[in-house]
Amino acid sequence: MYHFDWITFWNYIWPPSAFQNPLIRNGLIATILVSIIAQALGVILGLIAALGKMSKLAAFRWLSEIYVWYFRGTPLLVQMSLLFFGLGVTHIYNFPDIVVGAITITGAIQAGTLALGINEGAYMAEIVRAGIESIDPGQMEAAKSLGMTSGLAMQRIVLPQAAKVIIPPLGNEFNNMMKTTSLMEVISAGELFFGFNQINARVFKPFELYIAASLYYLVLTTIWSFVQARIESGLGERKGLERGPGMMQRLFGSSGEGAH
Amino acid sequence: MVTPNVKLADSNIIVKAEKVNKHFGSLHVLKDINIEVLKNEVVVIIGPSGSGKSTFLRCINHLEKINSGHIYVNGHMIGYHDRNGKLVEDNERNIARQRAEIGMVFQRFNLFPHLTAIENIIEAPTRVRKTPADQARADGERLLARVGLVDKRDQYPNQLSGGQQQRVAIARALAMKPSLMLFDEPTSALDPEMIGEVLDVMKELAHEMTMIVVSHEMGFARAAADRIVFVDEGQIIEQASPDDFFTKPRSERTQLFLSQILH
Repeated sequence: MYHFDWITFWNYIWPPSAFQNPLIRNGLIATILVSIIAQALGVILGLIAALGKMSKLAAFRWLSEIYVWYFRGTPLLVQMSLLFFGLGVTHIYNFPDIVVGAITITGAIQAGTLALGINEGAYMAEIVRAGIESIDPGQMEAAKSLGMTSGLAMQRIVLPQAAKVIIPPLGNEFNNMMKTTSLMEVISAGELFFGFNQINARVFKPFELYIAASLYYLVLTTIWSFVQARIESGLGERKGLERGPGMMQRLFGSSGEGAH
Repeated sequence: MVTPNVKLADSNIIVKAEKVNKHFGSLHVLKDINIEVLKNEVVVIIGPSGSGKSTFLRCINHLEKINSGHIYVNGHMIGYHDRNGKLVEDNERNIARQRAEIGMVFQRFNLFPHLTAIENIIEAPTRVRKTPADQARADGERLLARVGLVDKRDQYPNQLSGGQQQRVAIARALAMKPSLMLFDEPTSALDPEMIGEVLDVMKELAHEMTMIVVSHEMGFARAAADRIVFVDEGQIIEQASPDDFFTKPRSERTQLFLSQILH
Protein backbone atom coordinates (compact mmCIF):
# COMPACT_ATOMS: atom_id res chain seq x y z
CA MET A 1 0.00 0.00 0.00
CA TYR A 2 1.37 3.32 -1.11
CA HIS A 3 1.92 5.78 1.65
CA PHE A 4 0.66 9.18 0.46
CA ASP A 5 3.07 11.88 1.59
CA TRP A 6 0.67 14.55 2.80
CA ILE A 7 3.45 16.76 4.06
CA THR A 8 5.11 17.05 0.67
CA PHE A 9 1.72 17.45 -0.98
CA TRP A 10 0.62 20.31 1.31
CA ASN A 11 4.01 21.88 1.16
CA TYR A 12 3.66 22.34 -2.60
CA ILE A 13 0.05 23.41 -2.83
CA TRP A 14 -0.37 25.60 0.25
CA PRO A 15 0.48 29.02 -1.21
CA PRO A 16 2.47 30.52 1.72
CA SER A 17 4.90 27.60 1.63
CA ALA A 18 4.64 26.66 -2.04
CA PHE A 19 5.29 30.18 -3.28
CA GLN A 20 8.54 30.26 -1.33
CA ASN A 21 9.81 27.98 -4.02
CA PRO A 22 10.77 30.06 -7.08
CA LEU A 23 10.15 27.08 -9.37
CA ILE A 24 6.48 27.21 -8.45
CA ARG A 25 6.07 30.94 -7.96
CA ASN A 26 7.82 31.93 -11.19
CA GLY A 27 6.40 28.92 -12.99
CA LEU A 28 2.87 29.98 -12.15
CA ILE A 29 3.51 33.56 -13.22
CA ALA A 30 5.10 32.33 -16.46
CA THR A 31 2.18 30.01 -17.19
CA ILE A 32 -0.32 32.85 -16.78
CA LEU A 33 1.67 35.41 -18.76
CA VAL A 34 2.59 33.00 -21.55
CA SER A 35 -1.06 31.98 -21.87
CA ILE A 36 -2.18 35.58 -22.22
CA ILE A 37 0.52 36.60 -24.67
CA ALA A 38 0.25 33.45 -26.79
CA GLN A 39 -3.53 33.78 -26.92
CA ALA A 40 -3.27 37.43 -27.93
CA LEU A 41 -0.80 36.48 -30.64
CA GLY A 42 -3.15 33.71 -31.73
CA VAL A 43 -6.06 36.14 -32.02
CA ILE A 44 -4.03 38.55 -34.13
CA LEU A 45 -2.67 35.82 -36.41
CA GLY A 46 -6.08 34.20 -36.59
CA LEU A 47 -7.68 37.45 -37.68
CA ILE A 48 -5.04 38.00 -40.34
CA ALA A 49 -5.34 34.42 -41.60
CA ALA A 50 -9.15 34.58 -41.61
CA LEU A 51 -9.13 37.78 -43.64
CA GLY A 52 -6.42 36.27 -45.84
CA LYS A 53 -8.60 33.25 -46.54
CA MET A 54 -11.37 35.57 -47.74
CA SER A 55 -9.02 37.82 -49.69
CA LYS A 56 -9.56 38.60 -53.34
CA LEU A 57 -5.83 38.02 -53.89
CA ALA A 58 -4.99 34.40 -54.54
CA ALA A 59 -1.53 34.75 -52.94
CA PHE A 60 -3.04 35.75 -49.57
CA ARG A 61 -5.59 32.98 -49.79
CA TRP A 62 -2.92 30.37 -50.46
CA LEU A 63 -0.62 31.61 -47.73
CA SER A 64 -3.44 31.51 -45.21
CA GLU A 65 -4.59 28.09 -46.32
CA ILE A 66 -1.08 26.66 -46.04
CA TYR A 67 -0.57 28.23 -42.62
CA VAL A 68 -3.77 26.77 -41.24
CA TRP A 69 -3.18 23.44 -42.94
CA TYR A 70 0.33 23.03 -41.54
CA PHE A 71 -0.26 24.20 -38.00
CA ARG A 72 -3.50 22.30 -37.52
CA GLY A 73 -2.11 19.26 -39.27
CA THR A 74 1.03 18.74 -37.21
CA PRO A 75 1.51 18.28 -33.46
CA LEU A 76 2.19 21.38 -31.42
CA LEU A 77 4.91 19.51 -29.57
CA VAL A 78 6.73 18.92 -32.85
CA GLN A 79 6.25 22.54 -33.94
CA MET A 80 7.62 23.80 -30.65
CA SER A 81 10.67 21.49 -30.79
CA LEU A 82 11.33 22.49 -34.38
CA LEU A 83 11.15 26.19 -33.54
CA PHE A 84 13.45 25.96 -30.52
CA PHE A 85 15.87 23.08 -31.11
CA GLY A 86 15.54 22.98 -34.89
CA LEU A 87 16.16 26.64 -35.57
CA GLY A 88 18.78 26.72 -32.84
CA VAL A 89 20.96 24.05 -34.33
CA THR A 90 20.83 25.59 -37.82
CA HIS A 91 21.76 29.00 -36.41
CA ILE A 92 18.88 30.47 -38.42
CA TYR A 93 17.66 31.89 -35.15
CA ASN A 94 18.77 31.26 -31.60
CA PHE A 95 16.39 32.65 -29.06
CA PRO A 96 18.58 34.73 -26.75
CA ASP A 97 17.63 35.32 -23.13
CA ILE A 98 16.19 38.79 -22.67
CA VAL A 99 16.92 40.55 -19.41
CA VAL A 100 14.49 43.24 -18.32
CA GLY A 101 15.60 44.59 -14.96
CA ALA A 102 15.40 41.74 -12.46
CA ILE A 103 13.45 39.51 -14.85
CA THR A 104 15.04 37.15 -17.36
CA ILE A 105 12.86 35.95 -20.19
CA THR A 106 14.60 32.82 -21.35
CA GLY A 107 14.89 31.87 -25.00
CA ALA A 108 12.83 28.78 -24.28
CA ILE A 109 9.97 30.86 -22.91
CA GLN A 110 10.07 33.09 -25.98
CA ALA A 111 10.16 30.16 -28.39
CA GLY A 112 7.43 28.35 -26.49
CA THR A 113 5.17 31.40 -26.43
CA LEU A 114 5.74 31.98 -30.11
CA ALA A 115 4.99 28.34 -30.98
CA LEU A 116 1.83 28.39 -28.86
CA GLY A 117 0.71 31.67 -30.45
CA ILE A 118 1.38 30.58 -34.02
CA ASN A 119 -0.34 27.27 -33.45
CA GLU A 120 -3.27 28.99 -31.78
CA GLY A 121 -3.57 31.41 -34.73
CA ALA A 122 -4.36 28.51 -37.04
CA TYR A 123 -7.27 27.48 -34.81
CA MET A 124 -8.41 31.05 -34.25
CA ALA A 125 -8.46 31.58 -38.04
CA GLU A 126 -11.29 29.09 -38.34
CA ILE A 127 -13.13 30.59 -35.38
CA VAL A 128 -12.80 34.13 -36.73
CA ARG A 129 -13.85 33.05 -40.21
CA ALA A 130 -16.92 31.26 -38.87
CA GLY A 131 -17.73 34.41 -36.89
CA ILE A 132 -17.47 36.64 -39.94
CA GLU A 133 -19.48 34.24 -42.06
CA SER A 134 -22.24 34.17 -39.46
CA ILE A 135 -22.97 37.85 -40.14
CA ASP A 136 -25.78 38.53 -42.62
CA PRO A 137 -24.23 39.57 -45.98
CA GLY A 138 -26.83 42.35 -46.02
CA GLN A 139 -24.69 44.12 -43.41
CA MET A 140 -21.76 44.35 -45.79
CA GLU A 141 -24.06 45.43 -48.61
CA ALA A 142 -25.65 48.15 -46.53
CA ALA A 143 -22.23 49.44 -45.50
CA LYS A 144 -21.02 49.41 -49.09
CA SER A 145 -24.16 51.17 -50.29
CA LEU A 146 -23.25 53.99 -47.89
CA GLY A 147 -19.90 54.40 -49.59
CA MET A 148 -17.74 52.35 -47.24
CA THR A 149 -14.89 50.32 -48.69
CA SER A 150 -14.95 46.65 -47.73
CA GLY A 151 -12.03 47.22 -45.34
CA LEU A 152 -13.85 49.96 -43.46
CA ALA A 153 -17.08 47.98 -43.49
CA MET A 154 -15.24 44.95 -42.11
CA GLN A 155 -13.66 47.00 -39.34
CA ARG A 156 -16.69 49.06 -38.32
CA ILE A 157 -19.67 46.88 -39.15
CA VAL A 158 -18.84 43.21 -39.59
CA LEU A 159 -16.06 42.52 -37.07
CA PRO A 160 -17.78 44.19 -34.08
CA GLN A 161 -20.77 41.93 -34.70
CA ALA A 162 -18.61 38.88 -35.40
CA ALA A 163 -16.73 39.51 -32.14
CA LYS A 164 -19.82 38.51 -30.19
CA VAL A 165 -19.85 35.19 -32.01
CA ILE A 166 -16.09 34.75 -31.63
CA ILE A 167 -15.75 35.52 -27.92
CA PRO A 168 -17.37 32.37 -26.47
CA PRO A 169 -15.13 29.94 -28.42
CA LEU A 170 -12.20 32.27 -27.81
CA GLY A 171 -12.77 31.82 -24.10
CA ASN A 172 -12.66 28.05 -24.54
CA GLU A 173 -9.46 28.39 -26.53
CA PHE A 174 -7.89 30.33 -23.66
CA ASN A 175 -8.92 27.64 -21.24
CA ASN A 176 -7.11 25.11 -23.44
CA MET A 177 -4.16 27.43 -23.81
CA MET A 178 -3.49 27.54 -20.07
CA LYS A 179 -3.27 23.76 -19.99
CA THR A 180 -1.31 23.49 -23.22
CA THR A 181 1.49 25.72 -21.92
CA SER A 182 2.62 22.61 -20.02
CA LEU A 183 3.98 21.27 -23.32
CA MET A 184 6.71 23.87 -23.03
CA GLU A 185 8.26 21.54 -20.48
CA VAL A 186 9.96 19.69 -23.35
CA ILE A 187 12.00 22.74 -24.28
CA SER A 188 12.73 23.40 -20.59
CA ALA A 189 10.81 26.64 -20.48
CA GLY A 190 10.33 27.56 -16.83
CA GLU A 191 6.57 27.30 -16.54
CA LEU A 192 4.56 25.54 -13.87
CA PHE A 193 4.83 21.96 -15.07
CA PHE A 194 8.56 22.35 -15.65
CA GLY A 195 8.84 23.59 -12.08
CA PHE A 196 7.06 20.54 -10.71
CA ASN A 197 9.21 18.24 -12.82
CA GLN A 198 12.35 19.88 -11.46
CA ILE A 199 11.12 19.41 -7.91
CA ASN A 200 10.20 15.83 -8.66
CA ALA A 201 13.69 15.18 -9.95
CA ARG A 202 14.97 16.10 -6.50
CA VAL A 203 12.38 14.59 -4.15
CA PHE A 204 10.86 11.89 -6.37
CA LYS A 205 7.25 12.07 -5.25
CA PRO A 206 5.54 11.96 -8.68
CA PHE A 207 2.12 10.96 -7.35
CA GLU A 208 1.86 13.81 -4.83
CA LEU A 209 3.56 16.39 -7.04
CA TYR A 210 1.56 15.72 -10.20
CA ILE A 211 -1.69 15.83 -8.27
CA ALA A 212 -0.53 19.12 -6.83
CA ALA A 213 0.40 20.38 -10.30
CA SER A 214 -2.98 19.36 -11.68
CA LEU A 215 -4.70 21.31 -8.91
CA TYR A 216 -2.89 24.49 -9.93
CA TYR A 217 -4.19 24.13 -13.47
CA LEU A 218 -7.65 23.31 -12.16
CA VAL A 219 -7.70 26.51 -10.11
CA LEU A 220 -6.59 28.56 -13.14
CA THR A 221 -9.18 27.12 -15.48
CA THR A 222 -11.92 27.37 -12.86
CA ILE A 223 -11.20 31.03 -12.18
CA TRP A 224 -11.20 31.58 -15.92
CA SER A 225 -14.60 29.90 -16.25
CA PHE A 226 -16.05 32.48 -13.89
CA VAL A 227 -14.40 35.35 -15.74
CA GLN A 228 -15.64 33.96 -19.03
CA ALA A 229 -19.20 33.63 -17.77
CA ARG A 230 -19.03 37.23 -16.62
CA ILE A 231 -17.77 38.47 -19.98
CA GLU A 232 -20.37 36.53 -21.94
CA SER A 233 -23.31 37.62 -19.82
CA GLY A 234 -22.09 41.21 -20.19
CA LEU A 235 -22.08 40.74 -23.95
CA GLY A 236 -25.54 39.29 -24.04
CA GLU A 237 -27.20 41.82 -21.79
CA ARG A 238 -27.23 44.82 -24.04
CA LYS A 239 -27.03 43.53 -27.55
CA GLY A 240 -29.38 40.58 -27.54
CA LEU A 241 -26.95 37.68 -27.60
CA GLU A 242 -28.14 34.29 -26.45
CA ARG A 243 -27.21 33.38 -22.91
CA GLY A 244 -24.04 31.38 -22.54
CA PRO A 245 -23.96 28.00 -20.81
CA GLY A 246 -24.50 28.01 -17.07
CA MET A 247 -21.69 27.68 -14.54
CA MET A 248 -22.32 24.00 -13.84
CA GLN A 249 -22.34 23.15 -17.52
CA ARG A 250 -19.21 25.18 -18.03
CA LEU A 251 -17.26 23.40 -15.29
CA PHE A 252 -18.46 19.87 -15.77
CA GLY A 253 -19.02 20.04 -19.50
CA SER A 254 -21.84 18.78 -21.65
CA SER A 255 -20.90 19.23 -25.26
CA GLY A 256 -17.61 17.99 -26.67
CA GLU A 257 -15.08 20.75 -26.44
CA GLY A 258 -12.44 20.03 -29.05
CA ALA A 259 -9.05 19.32 -27.50
CA HIS A 260 -5.86 19.83 -29.42
CA MET B 1 -15.81 55.23 -77.79
CA VAL B 2 -16.95 58.61 -76.53
CA THR B 3 -15.91 59.39 -73.01
CA PRO B 4 -18.81 58.94 -70.65
CA ASN B 5 -18.85 62.42 -69.24
CA VAL B 6 -19.35 64.15 -72.57
CA LYS B 7 -22.03 61.76 -73.54
CA LEU B 8 -24.58 63.04 -71.09
CA ALA B 9 -24.81 66.65 -72.07
CA ASP B 10 -28.19 66.88 -70.41
CA SER B 11 -27.44 67.43 -66.75
CA ASN B 12 -31.07 66.75 -65.99
CA ILE B 13 -30.48 63.09 -66.54
CA ILE B 14 -29.56 61.45 -63.23
CA VAL B 15 -29.56 57.82 -64.32
CA LYS B 16 -28.97 56.48 -67.77
CA ALA B 17 -28.79 52.78 -68.55
CA GLU B 18 -27.73 51.64 -72.00
CA LYS B 19 -28.20 48.08 -73.23
CA VAL B 20 -27.56 46.61 -69.80
CA ASN B 21 -27.26 42.84 -69.75
CA LYS B 22 -26.83 40.63 -66.76
CA HIS B 23 -26.51 36.87 -66.44
CA PHE B 24 -26.59 34.66 -63.39
CA GLY B 25 -24.86 31.62 -64.85
CA SER B 26 -27.05 30.49 -67.71
CA LEU B 27 -29.94 32.67 -66.54
CA HIS B 28 -30.29 35.90 -68.55
CA VAL B 29 -31.82 38.20 -65.94
CA LEU B 30 -31.49 41.61 -67.63
CA LYS B 31 -31.89 41.90 -71.38
CA ASP B 32 -30.80 45.11 -73.06
CA ILE B 33 -32.24 47.43 -70.44
CA ASN B 34 -32.39 51.07 -71.61
CA ILE B 35 -33.78 53.72 -69.35
CA GLU B 36 -33.25 57.33 -68.37
CA VAL B 37 -34.34 58.85 -65.10
CA LEU B 38 -34.57 62.61 -64.83
CA LYS B 39 -33.77 64.84 -61.91
CA ASN B 40 -36.50 64.78 -59.26
CA GLU B 41 -38.32 62.07 -61.11
CA VAL B 42 -39.88 59.23 -59.16
CA VAL B 43 -39.82 55.99 -61.10
CA VAL B 44 -41.57 52.94 -59.73
CA ILE B 45 -40.51 49.63 -61.20
CA ILE B 46 -43.07 46.88 -60.98
CA GLY B 47 -43.24 43.38 -62.33
CA PRO B 48 -43.60 39.76 -61.34
CA SER B 49 -41.11 38.33 -58.89
CA GLY B 50 -38.00 37.06 -60.62
CA SER B 51 -38.45 39.58 -63.42
CA GLY B 52 -35.08 41.19 -62.69
CA LYS B 53 -36.31 44.47 -61.22
CA SER B 54 -34.37 44.17 -57.94
CA THR B 55 -31.30 43.00 -59.83
CA PHE B 56 -31.44 46.08 -62.04
CA LEU B 57 -31.71 48.32 -58.98
CA ARG B 58 -28.67 46.64 -57.45
CA CYS B 59 -26.72 47.16 -60.67
CA ILE B 60 -27.25 50.91 -60.40
CA ASN B 61 -24.97 51.10 -57.34
CA HIS B 62 -22.85 48.19 -58.48
CA LEU B 63 -23.89 45.76 -55.77
CA GLU B 64 -24.30 43.50 -58.79
CA LYS B 65 -21.90 43.44 -61.71
CA ILE B 66 -23.24 43.76 -65.22
CA ASN B 67 -22.08 41.71 -68.17
CA SER B 68 -22.49 44.34 -70.84
CA GLY B 69 -23.88 47.81 -71.39
CA HIS B 70 -23.37 50.98 -69.39
CA ILE B 71 -24.99 52.60 -66.40
CA TYR B 72 -24.34 56.27 -65.72
CA VAL B 73 -25.30 58.17 -62.59
CA ASN B 74 -24.84 61.92 -62.74
CA GLY B 75 -22.88 61.41 -65.94
CA HIS B 76 -20.36 59.03 -64.42
CA MET B 77 -20.20 55.43 -65.50
CA ILE B 78 -20.91 53.18 -62.54
CA GLY B 79 -18.52 50.43 -61.58
CA TYR B 80 -16.52 50.37 -64.76
CA HIS B 81 -14.45 52.43 -67.11
CA ASP B 82 -13.88 51.96 -70.79
CA ARG B 83 -10.53 50.72 -71.93
CA ASN B 84 -10.41 50.42 -75.73
CA GLY B 85 -14.09 49.60 -75.87
CA LYS B 86 -13.88 46.99 -73.13
CA LEU B 87 -15.46 47.40 -69.73
CA VAL B 88 -12.91 47.24 -66.92
CA GLU B 89 -14.11 47.17 -63.34
CA ASP B 90 -13.18 50.24 -61.31
CA ASN B 91 -11.06 50.02 -58.19
CA GLU B 92 -12.86 49.70 -54.90
CA ARG B 93 -12.23 53.24 -53.78
CA ASN B 94 -13.85 54.70 -56.89
CA ILE B 95 -16.84 52.43 -56.59
CA ALA B 96 -17.23 53.40 -52.93
CA ARG B 97 -17.08 57.08 -53.85
CA GLN B 98 -19.83 56.60 -56.41
CA ARG B 99 -21.98 54.61 -54.02
CA ALA B 100 -21.75 57.40 -51.45
CA GLU B 101 -23.85 59.51 -53.84
CA ILE B 102 -26.54 56.86 -54.19
CA GLY B 103 -28.74 56.04 -51.23
CA MET B 104 -30.21 52.58 -50.94
CA VAL B 105 -32.99 51.19 -48.81
CA PHE B 106 -33.24 47.42 -48.51
CA GLN B 107 -36.13 45.08 -48.14
CA ARG B 108 -34.76 43.73 -44.87
CA PHE B 109 -33.63 47.16 -43.58
CA ASN B 110 -30.07 45.99 -42.88
CA LEU B 111 -29.62 48.37 -40.00
CA PHE B 112 -26.41 47.80 -38.06
CA PRO B 113 -27.64 45.93 -34.96
CA HIS B 114 -24.68 46.88 -32.76
CA LEU B 115 -25.32 50.61 -33.24
CA THR B 116 -28.15 52.79 -31.98
CA ALA B 117 -30.46 54.58 -34.40
CA ILE B 118 -28.42 57.77 -34.34
CA GLU B 119 -25.14 55.84 -34.57
CA ASN B 120 -26.47 54.00 -37.60
CA ILE B 121 -27.17 57.34 -39.24
CA ILE B 122 -23.89 59.11 -38.45
CA GLU B 123 -21.59 56.14 -39.14
CA ALA B 124 -21.10 56.77 -42.85
CA PRO B 125 -21.08 60.59 -42.73
CA THR B 126 -18.37 60.58 -40.06
CA ARG B 127 -16.31 57.69 -41.45
CA VAL B 128 -16.71 58.22 -45.19
CA ARG B 129 -17.40 61.94 -45.53
CA LYS B 130 -15.35 62.86 -42.44
CA THR B 131 -18.13 65.10 -41.20
CA PRO B 132 -17.36 66.27 -37.63
CA ALA B 133 -19.27 64.11 -35.15
CA ASP B 134 -21.34 66.90 -33.57
CA GLN B 135 -22.43 68.20 -36.95
CA ALA B 136 -23.26 64.68 -38.17
CA ARG B 137 -25.24 64.14 -34.97
CA ALA B 138 -27.20 67.37 -35.45
CA ASP B 139 -27.93 66.45 -39.08
CA GLY B 140 -28.85 62.95 -37.99
CA GLU B 141 -31.31 64.17 -35.41
CA ARG B 142 -32.94 66.41 -37.99
CA LEU B 143 -33.33 63.38 -40.25
CA LEU B 144 -34.73 61.32 -37.39
CA ALA B 145 -37.22 64.08 -36.72
CA ARG B 146 -38.14 64.05 -40.36
CA VAL B 147 -39.00 60.34 -40.26
CA GLY B 148 -40.77 60.90 -36.94
CA LEU B 149 -38.35 58.99 -34.73
CA VAL B 150 -36.32 61.56 -32.87
CA ASP B 151 -37.31 59.99 -29.54
CA LYS B 152 -35.88 56.62 -30.70
CA ARG B 153 -32.44 58.12 -31.19
CA ASP B 154 -30.68 55.93 -28.64
CA GLN B 155 -32.56 52.70 -29.26
CA TYR B 156 -30.94 49.69 -30.85
CA PRO B 157 -32.56 48.26 -33.99
CA ASN B 158 -33.90 45.22 -32.13
CA GLN B 159 -35.82 47.60 -29.88
CA LEU B 160 -37.65 49.11 -32.85
CA SER B 161 -40.58 47.80 -34.89
CA GLY B 162 -40.05 46.88 -38.53
CA GLY B 163 -41.62 50.10 -39.73
CA GLN B 164 -39.45 52.15 -37.40
CA GLN B 165 -36.34 50.28 -38.50
CA GLN B 166 -37.10 50.98 -42.13
CA ARG B 167 -37.63 54.68 -41.38
CA VAL B 168 -34.25 54.79 -39.62
CA ALA B 169 -32.76 53.03 -42.67
CA ILE B 170 -34.21 55.75 -44.91
CA ALA B 171 -32.73 58.44 -42.65
CA ARG B 172 -29.40 56.61 -42.72
CA ALA B 173 -29.36 56.66 -46.51
CA LEU B 174 -30.38 60.32 -46.61
CA ALA B 175 -27.59 61.27 -44.21
CA MET B 176 -25.10 60.90 -47.05
CA LYS B 177 -27.05 63.57 -48.98
CA PRO B 178 -27.39 61.35 -52.03
CA SER B 179 -28.53 62.66 -55.38
CA LEU B 180 -30.46 59.47 -56.02
CA MET B 181 -32.38 57.09 -53.78
CA LEU B 182 -32.95 53.44 -54.58
CA PHE B 183 -35.66 51.53 -52.74
CA ASP B 184 -35.59 47.75 -53.06
CA GLU B 185 -39.04 46.52 -52.05
CA PRO B 186 -38.93 48.65 -48.91
CA THR B 187 -42.24 47.46 -47.50
CA SER B 188 -42.21 43.78 -48.49
CA ALA B 189 -40.83 42.58 -45.16
CA LEU B 190 -43.21 44.66 -43.07
CA ASP B 191 -46.35 43.71 -41.24
CA PRO B 192 -49.33 45.26 -43.02
CA GLU B 193 -50.02 47.82 -40.31
CA MET B 194 -46.51 49.27 -40.67
CA ILE B 195 -46.47 49.70 -44.42
CA GLY B 196 -48.31 53.02 -44.30
CA GLU B 197 -45.80 54.81 -42.08
CA VAL B 198 -42.93 53.90 -44.41
CA LEU B 199 -44.84 54.84 -47.55
CA ASP B 200 -45.77 58.18 -45.98
CA VAL B 201 -42.10 58.99 -45.47
CA MET B 202 -41.37 57.97 -49.05
CA LYS B 203 -44.22 60.09 -50.41
CA GLU B 204 -42.81 63.10 -48.59
CA LEU B 205 -39.40 62.41 -50.10
CA ALA B 206 -40.87 61.98 -53.55
CA HIS B 207 -41.52 65.73 -53.75
CA GLU B 208 -37.86 66.59 -53.62
CA MET B 209 -35.72 63.64 -54.65
CA THR B 210 -34.86 61.47 -57.58
CA MET B 211 -36.07 58.04 -56.63
CA ILE B 212 -36.21 54.60 -58.18
CA VAL B 213 -38.50 52.32 -56.27
CA VAL B 214 -39.03 48.62 -56.77
CA SER B 215 -42.35 47.93 -55.14
CA HIS B 216 -45.54 45.96 -55.17
CA GLU B 217 -47.43 48.82 -53.56
CA MET B 218 -49.75 49.92 -56.36
CA GLY B 219 -51.34 52.60 -54.18
CA PHE B 220 -47.95 54.18 -53.65
CA ALA B 221 -47.10 53.88 -57.34
CA ARG B 222 -50.32 55.61 -58.28
CA ALA B 223 -49.90 58.38 -55.75
CA ALA B 224 -46.18 59.14 -55.88
CA ALA B 225 -44.76 57.91 -59.19
CA ASP B 226 -44.09 60.18 -62.12
CA ARG B 227 -43.55 57.13 -64.26
CA ILE B 228 -44.16 53.44 -63.92
CA VAL B 229 -41.85 50.95 -65.55
CA PHE B 230 -43.15 47.45 -66.02
CA VAL B 231 -40.47 44.78 -66.19
CA ASP B 232 -41.01 41.14 -67.09
CA GLU B 233 -38.45 38.43 -67.80
CA GLY B 234 -35.59 40.89 -67.72
CA GLN B 235 -37.08 43.33 -70.22
CA ILE B 236 -38.78 46.65 -69.93
CA ILE B 237 -42.21 45.93 -71.37
CA GLU B 238 -43.91 49.24 -70.87
CA GLN B 239 -43.36 52.68 -69.36
CA ALA B 240 -46.13 55.15 -68.71
CA SER B 241 -47.51 57.69 -66.32
CA PRO B 242 -49.47 56.07 -63.47
CA ASP B 243 -52.78 57.18 -64.97
CA ASP B 244 -52.08 55.69 -68.36
CA PHE B 245 -50.44 52.64 -66.91
CA PHE B 246 -53.32 51.62 -64.70
CA THR B 247 -56.18 52.73 -66.96
CA LYS B 248 -54.95 51.86 -70.42
CA PRO B 249 -52.01 49.47 -70.34
CA ARG B 250 -50.83 48.78 -73.87
CA SER B 251 -49.12 45.42 -73.78
CA GLU B 252 -50.84 42.15 -73.11
CA ARG B 253 -48.33 41.15 -70.47
CA THR B 254 -49.01 44.35 -68.56
CA GLN B 255 -52.73 43.77 -68.79
CA LEU B 256 -52.30 40.22 -67.56
CA PHE B 257 -50.08 41.34 -64.66
CA LEU B 258 -52.47 44.08 -63.63
CA SER B 259 -55.45 41.76 -63.79
CA GLN B 260 -53.62 39.39 -61.45
CA ILE B 261 -52.75 41.94 -58.83
CA LEU B 262 -55.76 44.28 -59.01
CA HIS B 263 -58.77 42.13 -58.51
